[in-house]
Amino acid sequence: MFFQRVQNILANYGMTLLRGAGVTLLIATLSTFFGCIIGYIVGIIQTIPVGRRDHPAKKAVLGVVRAILRAYVEVFRGTPMMVQAGFIYYGFLYAGVSLPWLAAALLIVSINTGAYMAETVRGGILSIDEGQTEGAKAIGMTHFQTMLYVILPQATRNILPQIGNNLIINIKDTCVLSVISIVELFFAAKTAAGATYTYFEPYTISMVMYLIMTLFFSRLLRWMEKKMDGPQVYDLATTDTLAHTSGMISYPGKGRKEEE
Amino acid sequence: MSEHILEIRHLSKSFGANTVLRDISFTVDRGDVICIIGASGSGKSTLLRCINLLETPSGGEILFHGTDITKERVNIPAYRAKVGMVFQNFNLFTNMTALKNCMIGMTKVQKKDKMTAEKTARYYLDKVGMSPYIHAKPRQLSGGQKQRVAIARALAMEPEVLLFDEPTSALDPQMVGEVLTVMRNLAKEGMTMIVVTHEMAFARDVSSRVVFMHNGVICEQGTPQDIFINPQKQETKDFLARFLNG
Ligand SMILES: Nc1ncnc2c1ncn2[C@@H]1O[C@H](COP(=O)(O)OP(=O)(O)OP(=O)(O)O)[C@@H](O)[C@H]1O
Ligand SMILES: [Mg+2]
Repeated sequence: MFFQRVQNILANYGMTLLRGAGVTLLIATLSTFFGCIIGYIVGIIQTIPVGRRDHPAKKAVLGVVRAILRAYVEVFRGTPMMVQAGFIYYGFLYAGVSLPWLAAALLIVSINTGAYMAETVRGGILSIDEGQTEGAKAIGMTHFQTMLYVILPQATRNILPQIGNNLIINIKDTCVLSVISIVELFFAAKTAAGATYTYFEPYTISMVMYLIMTLFFSRLLRWMEKKMDGPQVYDLATTDTLAHTSGMISYPGKGRKEEE
Repeated sequence: MSEHILEIRHLSKSFGANTVLRDISFTVDRGDVICIIGASGSGKSTLLRCINLLETPSGGEILFHGTDITKERVNIPAYRAKVGMVFQNFNLFTNMTALKNCMIGMTKVQKKDKMTAEKTARYYLDKVGMSPYIHAKPRQLSGGQKQRVAIARALAMEPEVLLFDEPTSALDPQMVGEVLTVMRNLAKEGMTMIVVTHEMAFARDVSSRVVFMHNGVICEQGTPQDIFINPQKQETKDFLARFLNG
Protein backbone atom coordinates (compact mmCIF):
# COMPACT_ATOMS: atom_id res chain seq x y z
CA MET A 1 0.00 0.00 0.00
CA PHE A 2 2.53 2.54 1.20
CA PHE A 3 5.15 1.46 -1.27
CA GLN A 4 2.65 1.46 -4.09
CA ARG A 5 1.74 5.06 -3.35
CA VAL A 6 5.38 5.96 -3.10
CA GLN A 7 5.98 4.34 -6.46
CA ASN A 8 3.03 6.16 -7.90
CA ILE A 9 4.29 9.52 -6.71
CA LEU A 10 7.78 8.79 -7.92
CA ALA A 11 6.43 7.87 -11.32
CA ASN A 12 4.36 11.00 -11.67
CA TYR A 13 6.25 13.53 -9.59
CA GLY A 14 9.74 12.08 -9.47
CA MET A 15 11.10 14.62 -11.90
CA THR A 16 9.38 17.50 -10.10
CA LEU A 17 10.87 16.37 -6.81
CA LEU A 18 14.30 15.87 -8.33
CA ARG A 19 14.18 19.27 -9.94
CA GLY A 20 13.09 20.69 -6.58
CA ALA A 21 16.06 19.00 -4.93
CA GLY A 22 18.29 20.44 -7.64
CA VAL A 23 16.99 23.92 -6.96
CA THR A 24 17.48 23.41 -3.24
CA LEU A 25 21.02 22.27 -3.81
CA LEU A 26 21.80 25.11 -6.18
CA ILE A 27 20.45 27.77 -3.83
CA ALA A 28 22.05 26.25 -0.75
CA THR A 29 25.55 25.78 -2.18
CA LEU A 30 25.73 29.09 -4.04
CA SER A 31 24.27 31.03 -1.13
CA THR A 32 26.64 29.41 1.31
CA PHE A 33 29.48 30.36 -1.00
CA PHE A 34 28.34 33.98 -1.38
CA GLY A 35 27.47 34.07 2.31
CA CYS A 36 31.02 33.04 3.12
CA ILE A 37 32.40 35.80 0.92
CA ILE A 38 30.19 38.34 2.68
CA GLY A 39 31.13 36.84 6.03
CA TYR A 40 34.86 37.00 5.31
CA ILE A 41 34.66 40.59 4.10
CA VAL A 42 32.64 41.72 7.11
CA GLY A 43 34.70 39.67 9.57
CA ILE A 44 37.98 40.98 8.16
CA ILE A 45 36.81 44.60 8.27
CA GLN A 46 35.59 44.17 11.85
CA THR A 47 39.03 42.99 12.95
CA ILE A 48 41.25 45.61 11.26
CA PRO A 49 43.34 47.06 14.07
CA VAL A 50 43.39 50.81 14.57
CA GLY A 51 46.43 52.26 16.22
CA ARG A 52 47.27 55.65 17.55
CA ARG A 53 49.45 56.30 14.53
CA ASP A 54 46.60 55.85 12.07
CA HIS A 55 45.12 58.76 10.20
CA PRO A 56 41.95 60.22 11.79
CA ALA A 57 40.11 59.98 8.45
CA LYS A 58 40.85 56.28 8.28
CA LYS A 59 39.53 55.82 11.79
CA ALA A 60 36.35 57.75 11.02
CA VAL A 61 35.58 55.84 7.81
CA LEU A 62 36.29 52.55 9.50
CA GLY A 63 34.05 53.51 12.41
CA VAL A 64 31.10 54.30 10.14
CA VAL A 65 31.56 51.19 8.01
CA ARG A 66 31.74 49.03 11.10
CA ALA A 67 28.58 50.51 12.57
CA ILE A 68 26.72 49.73 9.35
CA LEU A 69 28.08 46.20 9.23
CA ARG A 70 27.17 45.61 12.85
CA ALA A 71 23.61 46.75 12.16
CA TYR A 72 23.48 44.38 9.17
CA VAL A 73 24.59 41.44 11.28
CA GLU A 74 22.13 42.22 14.08
CA VAL A 75 19.16 42.68 11.75
CA PHE A 76 19.68 39.57 9.66
CA ARG A 77 20.64 37.33 12.57
CA GLY A 78 17.83 38.66 14.68
CA THR A 79 14.89 38.05 12.33
CA PRO A 80 13.52 34.86 10.73
CA MET A 81 14.66 34.16 7.19
CA MET A 82 11.07 33.51 6.13
CA VAL A 83 10.17 37.05 7.09
CA GLN A 84 13.33 38.39 5.43
CA ALA A 85 12.30 36.59 2.25
CA GLY A 86 8.96 38.39 2.19
CA PHE A 87 10.54 41.67 3.20
CA ILE A 88 13.19 41.61 0.47
CA TYR A 89 11.07 40.15 -2.32
CA TYR A 90 8.04 42.37 -1.78
CA GLY A 91 10.27 45.29 -0.93
CA PHE A 92 11.78 45.05 -4.40
CA LEU A 93 8.32 44.66 -5.94
CA TYR A 94 7.23 47.78 -4.07
CA ALA A 95 10.15 49.63 -5.60
CA GLY A 96 9.02 48.41 -9.01
CA VAL A 97 11.61 45.66 -9.43
CA SER A 98 10.42 42.12 -9.90
CA LEU A 99 13.38 39.96 -9.01
CA PRO A 100 13.86 36.77 -11.02
CA TRP A 101 13.25 33.85 -8.69
CA LEU A 102 16.84 32.62 -8.59
CA ALA A 103 18.22 36.08 -7.94
CA ALA A 104 15.72 36.60 -5.16
CA ALA A 105 16.53 33.27 -3.58
CA LEU A 106 20.29 33.75 -3.76
CA LEU A 107 20.04 37.29 -2.43
CA ILE A 108 17.94 36.32 0.56
CA VAL A 109 19.85 33.23 1.61
CA SER A 110 23.30 34.79 0.96
CA ILE A 111 22.53 37.87 3.00
CA ASN A 112 21.20 35.74 5.80
CA THR A 113 24.16 33.36 5.73
CA GLY A 114 26.57 36.29 5.49
CA ALA A 115 25.26 37.69 8.76
CA TYR A 116 25.99 34.43 10.55
CA MET A 117 29.30 33.91 8.78
CA ALA A 118 30.45 37.42 9.68
CA GLU A 119 30.34 36.53 13.36
CA THR A 120 31.84 33.11 12.70
CA VAL A 121 34.77 34.58 10.77
CA ARG A 122 35.31 37.31 13.32
CA GLY A 123 35.34 34.71 16.08
CA GLY A 124 37.67 32.53 14.02
CA ILE A 125 40.13 35.39 13.53
CA LEU A 126 40.03 36.37 17.20
CA SER A 127 40.56 32.77 18.27
CA ILE A 128 44.00 32.63 16.66
CA ASP A 129 46.73 33.12 19.23
CA GLU A 130 48.18 36.63 19.34
CA GLY A 131 51.61 35.03 19.01
CA GLN A 132 50.88 34.15 15.38
CA THR A 133 50.31 37.81 14.57
CA GLU A 134 53.44 38.83 16.44
CA GLY A 135 55.50 36.18 14.68
CA ALA A 136 54.28 37.52 11.36
CA LYS A 137 54.87 41.15 12.28
CA ALA A 138 58.34 40.30 13.50
CA ILE A 139 59.39 39.17 10.03
CA GLY A 140 57.96 42.32 8.52
CA MET A 141 54.55 41.24 7.30
CA THR A 142 51.87 43.88 6.94
CA HIS A 143 48.46 43.38 8.50
CA PHE A 144 47.11 42.32 5.12
CA GLN A 145 49.87 39.74 4.56
CA THR A 146 49.50 38.44 8.10
CA MET A 147 45.79 37.92 7.50
CA LEU A 148 46.24 36.31 4.11
CA TYR A 149 49.05 33.88 4.85
CA VAL A 150 48.86 33.23 8.57
CA ILE A 151 45.58 34.09 10.27
CA LEU A 152 42.91 33.30 7.68
CA PRO A 153 44.25 29.85 6.73
CA GLN A 154 44.22 28.89 10.40
CA ALA A 155 40.88 30.54 11.08
CA THR A 156 39.35 28.89 8.03
CA ARG A 157 40.45 25.48 9.24
CA ASN A 158 38.89 26.20 12.62
CA ILE A 159 35.58 27.46 11.24
CA LEU A 160 35.23 24.81 8.54
CA PRO A 161 32.82 22.81 10.72
CA GLN A 162 30.69 25.92 11.08
CA ILE A 163 30.74 26.58 7.35
CA GLY A 164 29.53 23.02 6.93
CA ASN A 165 26.86 23.65 9.51
CA ASN A 166 25.70 26.68 7.57
CA LEU A 167 25.55 24.70 4.35
CA ILE A 168 23.43 22.01 5.98
CA ILE A 169 21.17 24.58 7.58
CA ASN A 170 20.80 26.23 4.18
CA ILE A 171 19.87 22.96 2.48
CA LYS A 172 17.07 22.60 4.99
CA ASP A 173 16.06 26.21 5.35
CA THR A 174 15.68 27.06 1.68
CA CYS A 175 12.22 25.54 2.23
CA VAL A 176 11.15 28.87 3.72
CA LEU A 177 11.52 30.33 0.24
CA SER A 178 8.26 28.61 -0.59
CA VAL A 179 6.62 31.77 0.81
CA ILE A 180 7.76 33.56 -2.31
CA SER A 181 6.82 30.55 -4.45
CA ILE A 182 10.24 29.28 -5.28
CA VAL A 183 10.00 25.69 -6.43
CA GLU A 184 12.56 23.98 -4.27
CA LEU A 185 12.23 20.53 -2.79
CA PHE A 186 9.67 21.34 -0.12
CA PHE A 187 7.50 23.25 -2.55
CA ALA A 188 7.69 20.35 -4.97
CA ALA A 189 6.65 17.90 -2.26
CA LYS A 190 3.76 20.15 -1.29
CA THR A 191 2.68 20.33 -4.92
CA ALA A 192 2.77 16.56 -5.25
CA ALA A 193 0.83 16.20 -2.03
CA GLY A 194 -1.81 18.68 -3.08
CA ALA A 195 -2.29 17.16 -6.51
CA THR A 196 -2.54 13.53 -5.38
CA TYR A 197 -4.23 14.00 -2.03
CA THR A 198 -1.52 11.86 -0.48
CA TYR A 199 0.56 13.58 2.18
CA PHE A 200 2.65 11.13 4.13
CA GLU A 201 4.40 9.67 1.10
CA PRO A 202 5.65 12.80 -0.67
CA TYR A 203 6.92 14.20 2.61
CA THR A 204 8.64 10.92 3.36
CA ILE A 205 10.29 10.97 -0.03
CA SER A 206 11.44 14.55 0.36
CA MET A 207 12.68 13.83 3.85
CA VAL A 208 14.89 11.06 2.50
CA MET A 209 16.11 13.37 -0.24
CA TYR A 210 17.01 16.09 2.26
CA LEU A 211 18.84 13.57 4.37
CA ILE A 212 20.83 12.24 1.43
CA MET A 213 21.93 15.76 0.55
CA THR A 214 22.92 16.72 4.07
CA LEU A 215 24.74 13.45 4.70
CA PHE A 216 26.68 13.87 1.49
CA PHE A 217 27.84 17.34 2.43
CA SER A 218 28.71 16.50 6.00
CA ARG A 219 30.93 13.70 4.67
CA LEU A 220 32.48 16.00 2.08
CA LEU A 221 33.33 18.57 4.74
CA ARG A 222 34.88 15.98 7.03
CA TRP A 223 37.07 14.95 4.14
CA MET A 224 38.06 18.57 3.50
CA GLU A 225 39.00 19.02 7.17
CA LYS A 226 41.26 16.00 6.99
CA LYS A 227 42.78 17.28 3.79
CA MET A 228 43.54 20.67 5.33
CA ASP A 229 45.20 19.07 8.34
CA GLY A 230 47.73 17.41 6.07
CA PRO A 231 49.51 14.16 6.76
CA GLN A 232 49.87 13.09 10.37
CA VAL A 233 53.38 11.85 9.66
CA TYR A 234 56.02 13.96 8.01
CA ASP A 235 58.82 12.78 5.79
CA LEU A 236 62.20 12.96 7.35
CA ALA A 237 64.07 14.82 4.69
CA THR A 238 66.98 13.00 3.15
CA THR A 239 70.41 14.40 3.83
CA ASP A 240 71.05 13.93 0.15
CA THR A 241 72.30 17.39 -0.68
CA LEU A 242 73.00 16.31 -4.23
CA ALA A 243 69.29 16.14 -4.94
CA HIS A 244 69.02 19.68 -3.70
CA THR A 245 71.91 21.23 -5.56
CA SER A 246 70.88 19.52 -8.76
CA GLY A 247 67.53 21.26 -8.50
CA MET A 248 65.59 18.14 -7.61
CA ILE A 249 64.05 19.73 -4.56
CA SER A 250 61.43 17.36 -3.30
CA TYR A 251 58.28 18.48 -1.63
CA PRO A 252 56.37 15.99 0.49
CA GLY A 253 54.18 14.07 -1.90
CA LYS A 254 50.44 14.24 -1.43
CA GLY A 255 49.36 11.46 0.87
CA ARG A 256 52.76 9.85 0.68
CA LYS A 257 53.55 8.69 4.16
CA GLU A 258 56.77 7.21 5.30
CA GLU A 259 57.25 5.43 8.56
CA GLU A 260 60.25 6.52 10.52
CA MET B 1 77.05 59.86 13.19
CA SER B 2 79.06 56.87 14.31
CA GLU B 3 78.40 53.31 13.30
CA HIS B 4 75.69 52.42 15.81
CA ILE B 5 73.10 50.04 14.41
CA LEU B 6 70.66 50.96 17.13
CA GLU B 7 70.68 53.82 19.55
CA ILE B 8 67.99 53.92 22.23
CA ARG B 9 67.56 57.35 23.74
CA HIS B 10 65.51 58.08 26.85
CA LEU B 11 62.95 55.47 25.94
CA SER B 12 59.88 55.26 28.14
CA LYS B 13 56.76 53.17 28.06
CA SER B 14 53.56 53.34 30.09
CA PHE B 15 50.49 51.16 30.04
CA GLY B 16 47.90 53.65 31.16
CA ALA B 17 49.08 54.97 34.52
CA ASN B 18 51.56 52.14 34.89
CA THR B 19 55.03 53.27 33.84
CA VAL B 20 56.96 50.17 32.87
CA LEU B 21 60.08 51.69 31.29
CA ARG B 22 61.81 54.92 32.22
CA ASP B 23 64.66 56.77 30.58
CA ILE B 24 66.24 53.75 28.90
CA SER B 25 69.35 54.60 26.89
CA PHE B 26 71.92 52.33 25.32
CA THR B 27 73.57 51.65 22.00
CA VAL B 28 74.05 48.57 19.89
CA ASP B 29 77.01 48.26 17.55
CA ARG B 30 77.77 45.69 14.90
CA GLY B 31 78.70 42.36 16.46
CA ASP B 32 77.47 43.26 19.93
CA VAL B 33 75.84 40.62 22.04
CA ILE B 34 73.89 42.45 24.67
CA CYS B 35 72.28 40.40 27.40
CA ILE B 36 69.48 41.97 29.37
CA ILE B 37 68.97 40.50 32.81
CA GLY B 38 66.70 41.47 35.67
CA ALA B 39 63.88 40.29 37.89
CA SER B 40 60.50 39.27 36.55
CA GLY B 41 58.39 42.33 35.78
CA SER B 42 61.37 44.65 35.49
CA GLY B 43 60.39 45.47 31.89
CA LYS B 44 62.82 43.37 29.85
CA SER B 45 60.22 42.01 27.44
CA THR B 46 58.57 45.38 27.10
CA LEU B 47 61.92 46.92 26.16
CA LEU B 48 62.53 44.31 23.49
CA ARG B 49 59.00 44.65 22.16
CA CYS B 50 59.44 48.42 21.97
CA ILE B 51 62.61 47.98 19.95
CA ASN B 52 60.78 46.20 17.15
CA LEU B 53 57.64 48.24 17.71
CA LEU B 54 55.36 45.45 18.84
CA GLU B 55 54.70 48.01 21.56
CA THR B 56 54.53 51.70 20.76
CA PRO B 57 56.99 53.60 22.97
CA SER B 58 55.46 56.40 25.02
CA GLY B 59 58.52 58.61 24.79
CA GLY B 60 62.12 58.80 23.68
CA GLU B 61 63.76 57.78 20.45
CA ILE B 62 64.92 54.59 18.81
CA LEU B 63 67.50 55.38 16.14
CA PHE B 64 68.15 52.70 13.55
CA HIS B 65 71.22 53.79 11.58
CA GLY B 66 70.40 57.29 12.73
CA THR B 67 66.73 57.29 11.74
CA ASP B 68 64.16 57.57 14.50
CA ILE B 69 61.77 54.72 13.81
CA THR B 70 59.23 55.87 16.40
CA LYS B 71 58.40 58.83 14.15
CA GLU B 72 55.37 58.77 11.93
CA ARG B 73 55.78 57.92 8.25
CA VAL B 74 58.35 55.24 9.02
CA ASN B 75 57.68 52.01 7.16
CA ILE B 76 57.37 49.73 10.16
CA PRO B 77 57.18 46.38 8.34
CA ALA B 78 60.32 47.24 6.37
CA TYR B 79 62.12 48.09 9.60
CA ARG B 80 60.95 44.90 11.30
CA ALA B 81 62.24 42.84 8.39
CA LYS B 82 65.73 44.04 9.32
CA VAL B 83 65.35 43.40 13.04
CA GLY B 84 64.59 39.76 13.78
CA MET B 85 62.81 38.52 16.86
CA VAL B 86 62.75 35.17 18.57
CA PHE B 87 59.99 34.68 21.11
CA GLN B 88 59.70 32.69 24.29
CA ASN B 89 56.76 30.78 22.82
CA PHE B 90 58.30 30.33 19.36
CA ASN B 91 55.28 31.74 17.51
CA LEU B 92 55.91 29.50 14.53
CA PHE B 93 53.09 29.57 11.99
CA THR B 94 51.13 26.44 12.81
CA ASN B 95 49.70 26.14 9.31
CA MET B 96 53.10 25.81 7.66
CA THR B 97 55.95 23.32 7.65
CA ALA B 98 59.32 24.29 9.09
CA LEU B 99 60.56 25.04 5.59
CA LYS B 100 57.53 27.18 4.73
CA ASN B 101 57.91 29.05 8.01
CA CYS B 102 61.39 30.08 6.96
CA MET B 103 60.45 30.86 3.37
CA ILE B 104 57.33 32.96 3.81
CA GLY B 105 59.12 36.11 4.95
CA MET B 106 61.55 35.93 2.05
CA THR B 107 58.92 35.28 -0.62
CA LYS B 108 56.21 37.64 0.61
CA VAL B 109 58.08 40.41 2.43
CA GLN B 110 61.40 40.46 0.62
CA LYS B 111 59.82 39.29 -2.66
CA LYS B 112 62.58 36.80 -3.35
CA ASP B 113 61.81 34.10 -5.84
CA LYS B 114 60.87 30.68 -4.51
CA MET B 115 64.06 28.91 -5.53
CA THR B 116 66.33 31.42 -3.80
CA ALA B 117 64.08 31.48 -0.76
CA GLU B 118 64.08 27.73 -0.46
CA LYS B 119 67.84 27.55 -0.78
CA THR B 120 68.32 30.18 1.90
CA ALA B 121 65.74 28.56 4.16
CA ARG B 122 67.43 25.18 3.82
CA TYR B 123 70.80 26.76 4.55
CA TYR B 124 69.64 28.28 7.82
CA LEU B 125 67.61 25.25 8.86
CA ASP B 126 70.76 23.23 8.35
CA LYS B 127 72.70 25.71 10.44
CA VAL B 128 70.41 25.15 13.41
CA GLY B 129 70.50 21.40 12.85
CA MET B 130 66.92 21.10 11.64
CA SER B 131 67.54 19.79 8.13
CA PRO B 132 65.83 16.47 8.72
CA TYR B 133 62.64 18.12 9.91
CA ILE B 134 61.95 20.67 7.19
CA HIS B 135 58.65 19.02 6.23
CA ALA B 136 57.33 18.84 9.79
CA LYS B 137 54.57 21.10 11.04
CA PRO B 138 55.24 22.88 14.35
CA ARG B 139 52.86 20.59 16.27
CA GLN B 140 55.05 17.65 15.27
CA LEU B 141 58.20 19.16 16.78
CA SER B 142 59.59 19.34 20.31
CA GLY B 143 60.03 22.69 22.03
CA GLY B 144 63.74 22.85 21.36
CA GLN B 145 63.21 21.95 17.72
CA LYS B 146 60.52 24.59 17.36
CA GLN B 147 62.78 27.23 18.83
CA ARG B 148 65.58 26.28 16.46
CA VAL B 149 63.20 26.60 13.51
CA ALA B 150 62.12 29.97 14.88
CA ILE B 151 65.75 31.06 14.98
CA ALA B 152 66.23 29.84 11.42
CA ARG B 153 63.15 31.77 10.35
CA ALA B 154 64.56 34.95 11.85
CA LEU B 155 68.01 34.32 10.37
CA ALA B 156 66.60 33.65 6.92
CA MET B 157 65.53 37.29 6.75
CA GLU B 158 69.22 38.12 7.21
CA PRO B 159 68.48 40.78 9.81
CA GLU B 160 71.00 43.26 11.10
CA VAL B 161 70.04 42.65 14.70
CA LEU B 162 68.37 39.66 16.27
CA LEU B 163 66.27 40.08 19.41
CA PHE B 164 65.69 37.12 21.72
CA ASP B 165 63.07 37.23 24.46
CA GLU B 166 63.85 34.45 26.90
CA PRO B 167 64.27 31.92 24.11
CA THR B 168 64.85 29.01 26.48
CA SER B 169 62.37 29.78 29.23
CA ALA B 170 59.56 27.66 27.81
CA LEU B 171 61.83 24.66 27.26
CA ASP B 172 62.45 21.52 29.26
CA PRO B 173 65.96 21.57 30.77
CA GLN B 174 67.36 18.99 28.36
CA MET B 175 66.36 21.16 25.38
CA VAL B 176 67.83 24.39 26.70
CA GLY B 177 71.32 23.28 25.70
CA GLU B 178 70.57 22.72 22.03
CA VAL B 179 69.13 26.22 21.66
CA LEU B 180 71.93 27.89 23.62
CA THR B 181 74.49 26.10 21.46
CA VAL B 182 72.91 27.57 18.35
CA MET B 183 72.98 31.02 19.93
CA ARG B 184 76.60 30.68 21.01
CA ASN B 185 77.55 29.80 17.46
CA LEU B 186 75.68 32.82 16.13
CA ALA B 187 77.53 35.06 18.57
CA LYS B 188 80.82 33.55 17.49
CA GLU B 189 80.03 34.34 13.87
CA GLY B 190 79.50 37.96 14.77
CA MET B 191 75.72 38.16 14.71
CA THR B 192 74.45 41.27 16.48
CA MET B 193 72.07 40.16 19.20
CA ILE B 194 70.06 41.50 22.11
CA VAL B 195 69.13 38.67 24.41
CA VAL B 196 66.76 38.78 27.36
CA THR B 197 67.71 35.77 29.42
CA HIS B 198 67.78 34.13 32.81
CA GLU B 199 70.69 31.95 31.67
CA MET B 200 73.45 33.65 33.65
CA ALA B 201 76.19 31.37 32.35
CA PHE B 202 75.27 32.34 28.80
CA ALA B 203 75.19 36.04 29.69
CA ARG B 204 78.56 35.78 31.42
CA ASP B 205 80.33 33.84 28.65
CA VAL B 206 78.84 35.20 25.47
CA SER B 207 77.84 38.81 25.92
CA SER B 208 79.92 41.79 25.05
CA ARG B 209 77.75 43.87 27.37
CA VAL B 210 75.27 43.06 30.13
CA VAL B 211 72.37 45.32 30.97
CA PHE B 212 70.77 44.87 34.37
CA MET B 213 67.23 46.19 34.60
CA HIS B 214 65.40 46.96 37.79
CA ASN B 215 61.88 48.39 38.08
CA GLY B 216 61.82 49.72 34.53
CA VAL B 217 65.19 51.45 34.50
CA ILE B 218 68.66 50.34 33.52
CA CYS B 219 70.20 49.98 36.94
CA GLU B 220 73.66 49.06 35.75
CA GLN B 221 75.36 48.07 32.51
CA GLY B 222 78.85 47.00 31.60
CA THR B 223 81.04 44.11 30.56
CA PRO B 224 80.22 40.69 32.00
CA GLN B 225 83.14 41.27 34.36
CA ASP B 226 81.69 44.57 35.57
CA ILE B 227 78.29 43.07 36.25
CA PHE B 228 79.06 39.57 37.44
CA ILE B 229 82.38 40.08 39.25
CA ASN B 230 82.31 43.73 40.36
CA PRO B 231 78.70 44.89 40.47
CA GLN B 232 78.53 48.46 41.78
CA LYS B 233 74.87 48.76 42.70
CA GLN B 234 73.28 47.07 45.67
CA GLU B 235 70.28 46.00 43.52
CA THR B 236 72.59 44.18 41.12
CA LYS B 237 74.33 42.38 43.98
CA ASP B 238 71.00 41.38 45.50
CA PHE B 239 69.67 40.12 42.19
CA LEU B 240 72.76 38.07 41.45
CA ALA B 241 72.90 36.71 44.98
CA ARG B 242 69.28 35.64 44.78
CA PHE B 243 69.85 34.15 41.37
CA LEU B 244 72.99 32.24 42.13
CA ASN B 245 71.55 30.86 45.36
CA GLY B 246 68.48 29.70 43.44
N1 LIG C 1 50.14 44.92 27.60
C1 LIG C 1 50.37 45.31 28.89
N2 LIG C 1 49.46 46.06 29.54
C2 LIG C 1 49.69 46.45 30.81
N3 LIG C 1 50.77 46.16 31.50
C3 LIG C 1 51.72 45.43 30.91
C4 LIG C 1 51.58 44.95 29.58
N4 LIG C 1 52.66 44.25 29.25
C5 LIG C 1 53.46 44.27 30.33
N5 LIG C 1 52.90 44.98 31.33
C6 LIG C 1 53.51 45.23 32.65
O1 LIG C 1 54.79 45.71 32.45
C7 LIG C 1 55.67 45.26 33.46
C8 LIG C 1 56.92 44.69 32.82
O2 LIG C 1 56.57 43.53 32.09
P1 LIG C 1 57.61 42.73 31.22
O3 LIG C 1 56.87 41.63 30.60
O4 LIG C 1 58.33 43.67 30.34
O5 LIG C 1 58.59 42.17 32.33
P2 LIG C 1 59.79 41.17 32.16
O6 LIG C 1 60.97 41.84 32.73
O7 LIG C 1 59.88 40.71 30.75
O8 LIG C 1 59.37 39.96 33.09
P3 LIG C 1 59.60 38.39 32.90
O9 LIG C 1 61.00 38.11 33.33
O10 LIG C 1 58.61 37.77 33.83
O11 LIG C 1 59.33 38.06 31.49
C9 LIG C 1 54.90 44.26 34.29
O12 LIG C 1 54.53 44.89 35.48
C10 LIG C 1 53.68 43.97 33.46
O13 LIG C 1 52.58 43.74 34.26
MG1 LIG D 1 59.47 38.82 29.76
